[in-house]
Amino acid sequence: MFMPRRPPRDRFRSAPAFDCKFCLKALIPPLLVFAGIAEAGANGAGLGWEQLAAGGSAEKINYTVLVLIPLILFGVVALFWCWLQRQEALHRSRQLQKELNERQRVEHALRESESRFRDVTEAASDWIWEMDENLRFTYLSERFQALTGIATENVLGLTRWELAGVDFSARPQKWRKHRETLEKHLPFRDFSYQTLSLGGQDTGRYLKVSGKPIHDERGRFCGYRGTGTDITEQAKAEAALYQSELRLRRIIDLVPHMIFARDRSGHFLLANRATAAAYGTTVEALIDPAYPLNHGVPEEVEQRLADDLAVIGDWESRLIPEEVFTDHAGQVRTLQTMKIPFSEPGANDAAVLSVAIDITEQKQAKEEVARMRLYLKNIIDSMPSVLIGVDPWGYITVLNQPAEQTGGISWETAQGRFFGEVFPQLERQFDQVQQAIRHGNPIKTPRMTFEVEGELHYADVMVYPLMADQVSGAVIRIDDVTARVRIESMMVQTEKMLSVGGLAAGMAHEINNPLGAILQGSQNILRRIGPGLAQNHTVADALGVDLNQLNRYLQERGILRLLEGIREAGARAAKIVADMLSFSRRSEALFALVDIEDMMETVLRLAASDYDLKKKYDFKRIKIERAYDSALRLVYCDKTEIEQVLLNLLKNAAQAMAAAGTPSPRIVLRTARETDYAVLEVIDNGPGMEEKTLKRIFEPFFTTKDVGVGTGLGLSVSYFIVTEQHNGRLSVASKPGQGVCFSIRLPLVREKLS
Amino acid sequence: MTGWVLIVDDEEMIRENLKAYLEDEGMGVAAFESVTLALYWLRDGARCPVCVMDMRLPDMDGNTAIRIFHELYPEMEFLIHTGSSSYSLPEDLRTMGLDDSRVYRKPLQDMAPLAAAVRALAASREMRS
Repeated sequence: MFMPRRPPRDRFRSAPAFDCKFCLKALIPPLLVFAGIAEAGANGAGLGWEQLAAGGSAEKINYTVLVLIPLILFGVVALFWCWLQRQEALHRSRQLQKELNERQRVEHALRESESRFRDVTEAASDWIWEMDENLRFTYLSERFQALTGIATENVLGLTRWELAGVDFSARPQKWRKHRETLEKHLPFRDFSYQTLSLGGQDTGRYLKVSGKPIHDERGRFCGYRGTGTDITEQAKAEAALYQSELRLRRIIDLVPHMIFARDRSGHFLLANRATAAAYGTTVEALIDPAYPLNHGVPEEVEQRLADDLAVIGDWESRLIPEEVFTDHAGQVRTLQTMKIPFSEPGANDAAVLSVAIDITEQKQAKEEVARMRLYLKNIIDSMPSVLIGVDPWGYITVLNQPAEQTGGISWETAQGRFFGEVFPQLERQFDQVQQAIRHGNPIKTPRMTFEVEGELHYADVMVYPLMADQVSGAVIRIDDVTARVRIESMMVQTEKMLSVGGLAAGMAHEINNPLGAILQGSQNILRRIGPGLAQNHTVADALGVDLNQLNRYLQERGILRLLEGIREAGARAAKIVADMLSFSRRSEALFALVDIEDMMETVLRLAASDYDLKKKYDFKRIKIERAYDSALRLVYCDKTEIEQVLLNLLKNAAQAMAAAGTPSPRIVLRTARETDYAVLEVIDNGPGMEEKTLKRIFEPFFTTKDVGVGTGLGLSVSYFIVTEQHNGRLSVASKPGQGVCFSIRLPLVREKLS
Repeated sequence: MTGWVLIVDDEEMIRENLKAYLEDEGMGVAAFESVTLALYWLRDGARCPVCVMDMRLPDMDGNTAIRIFHELYPEMEFLIHTGSSSYSLPEDLRTMGLDDSRVYRKPLQDMAPLAAAVRALAASREMRS
C-alpha cells in the first residue's frame, strides 16, 4: 500500500539560495587581496627596472633585488593562489549550478510524482486508517468519508466489530477469527465486511481492509495502520452475480431434465439436481472430483464417454436420440441427450455440456402406439375382407393384407396412389366414396361381379365413411361372396328341384293314370289291328273284314304312324314325369357298397347299346380311356341312381361331341380318392361350354339341345341324385373349345342322410 | 286257363286296357273299380289265383285290400299296379311273399312283362294246388 510521507519541501527550497550567497561572500576577500598585490607588484617592478636601467648604485640594486624577489615571489604565489581560488570557485560554482539543476529536476519529478500520487490517492477508493493499541480507530483519512459517505467522527473511537452490527451477527465465526488475528497483533489482508451505514446512506457499506501492526522504537505494540477500500459496488455486483447465479442454479435445478457438464475424462463439472437424483446422490457429491468415474452400467458409461469424446473431437453439438441410462435404482431409462462442446472459462480443457431428457415414457407410449398399431393392423389383416382406406380424393391410406394380395401391391407402395389405379375393378366406386363421405352413410353394392383369372367372382362392396377426428375419408370393404353366391345358387337350384319333385309327386298319380291309358291303349290298338293275334282274325272273319286289307289301309292312311306317335309322345311324357319324380328324397334302403370299376364298366356297356340313329351319335366311335385309382374300389351309394348319373354324363358328352363334330372324340373315365370323397370324373374333349351355360347347367329344364331332343332334366336329376340323395357334390369345369370335366364326389364316410 | 285274373283299378281305361291285353293273351279277366265290388264277386265263389291291385282306390287303399284278400283267400297271389311314385312295399306285405318285382308302376309302356308275371304266378299256383 502506498504510504504517504510528509514532503520535505522547505529544506529543498532554501538550500540553493543559502549556498549561493555563502559562495559569493567567500570569494570577495581573496579577490581584494589579489587586486592589492597585483597593483603593488606592478608599481614596484616598474620602479626597479627603471632604476636599474638608469645606472644606479649596486647596493641599491642588491637591496632592491633582495626586497623585490620575495615580493615578486609572494606576488606570483598570491596570483597563483588567486587563480587557483578563482578556478576552484568557478568549479564550485559550476558544480553548484549542476547540483541546483539536478535538484530542480528532482524537485520537479517529485512534484509530478506527488501530484500523480495525490491524484491517484484522491481518485482511488482507498483510505488510510489507524488504530490504537485498544483496536479503536484513531485516524481515518479524508477519503473515507468521501468514499463511504460515513462521517469520520462516527467511526473514531470505535472498534471494527462495533461498526459491523449486521455482518457481525450474521457471520460471527468470521469476526471471531478476525478479532483473534488482531489481538495477536498479526498483519492481515483483504478482510471484507459490511459496516453499519451510520446515517448518510440507507444501506450498509461493504469494506475491505488490510492492516499492519505498528510498533514503537522499543517494539511495543501501539496500534494498527492500514488501508481500506469501499467494495460496496463490487460486493453489490458480486451479490447480484451471486443472486443471478443462484437464480440460474435454481432454474437448472427446477428443470426436470438432466443438465450436466463433464470433462473429457468423465468428471462432472456441473450437474443439476435432476442429474444428481438420477445418480442417487447430491449435486455436491457428483461434482466432487473424487466422485467415481465408473458409476453405472459399464457399457453405458463407456458409450457416454465415447459420445462425449466424439463431441469434443468434432467440436460440434450432437443429439443422441436415444441413450440407455440405468439410474441408481436400477431402472432403465431412455434419454434423449443434446451434447454441446464447451470450454469452461479458466479451464483450458474442453468439456461437454449435456441436456438429457427422459423420454422413457414417451418411448413406452410410442412403443405402445406402435404395438397398438401393429395389433390393429393384425386385426384388419386377419379379416378376410379386403379393406382399403382412402382419403376424400380417393388416394389410398391403408390396405390390409387381403387387399395387398388382391391388388398385388404392398401397403407402402400403394400409399398415396389413387385406389382406382391399384384396383381398376373398383374405379366406378369413386362416386360412392364421395357420396358416402358427403352424406356420412355407408353405401352397399351387393354382388358386384369381378373377373379373377378368368373366373367370375362375386363381391359385396361396402363404402363406409370415416368421420373420426375430422379426418374424413372412407373405407372400402370388399367381401368375396363367390362361394356363398354359388352355394346360394345351388340351394336355389336344389329348392327348385325339390319343388319340382314335390309337384311331380303330387301330380304323378293323376298324370300316370291318363298316361297309362294312352300308352296301354296304344299298345292294345296296335295289337288288335295287327295280324299277329288269333282273336283279331276270328273277329275279322266273323265281320267279313279282310284284316290284311285293313292293315294296308291303316298304313296307307298313316294311321299306324299316328298311333306310334301317340305311343311315343306318351312314353316321353312318362319319362318327364319319372325324371321329375327323381327330385324327391329317397329312402336309404337302396344304398350298398358298390364296386366303382364294375359300375363304370356296366355304364359303358349301357351307353354303347344306347346307339341312337335319330340323335346321330355312335358311342362306338368314341375312344374311351380309363384312369382308375386302384386305391378306390368300394363306395357306398345307390347303384342304380349313380349308374343313371354316369350314363347321363356319358350320353351328354357323346351328344355334345357328335353335335360339334369333334374330330377324334375321347372320353376319360377317372376315379380318384380324396380325403373325404371318392371322385368319379367324366372328361370329354368336346366343344366345352361358355360361362353362362356353365352357370345354369344344373338348372331343371335348362337345355342347349334343340326342342324335343332333351328334356333339360338329365343333369339336374344327376345333380340332385349326387348332392341331395348321396350328400355328395357334382361339379363341372369347362372352357369353350377345351372339353368338359364333370366330377362326382361321393362321401367316403357313410353319413346318415337327412 | 283255369282261373280268373282279378283286376281292381278305379281308372276305367287302365282297367279296360289291362283286361283287353290279358284277354288277348287268353286269360279270363274280372275287373272291378273298387275293392267292395271285387269282394262281392269273390264271395259269389269265383276262383281267382292272381290279383292285379291298384293302390289308390275309392273305398280303401290297395295295401289294406291285399291284407283282406290274403286273409280271406290265402292262396291268392298279388301284383301291384300303382301310379304313386312314392309307393314302397309295406313290411307285412313282404312277409306274405311279395317283393319289389311284384310292383308295376304306371304308366306301363308295355304290358307284356305284367302279363308274363300273371301267367307265371297263375301257373305256380296251379302247380301247388
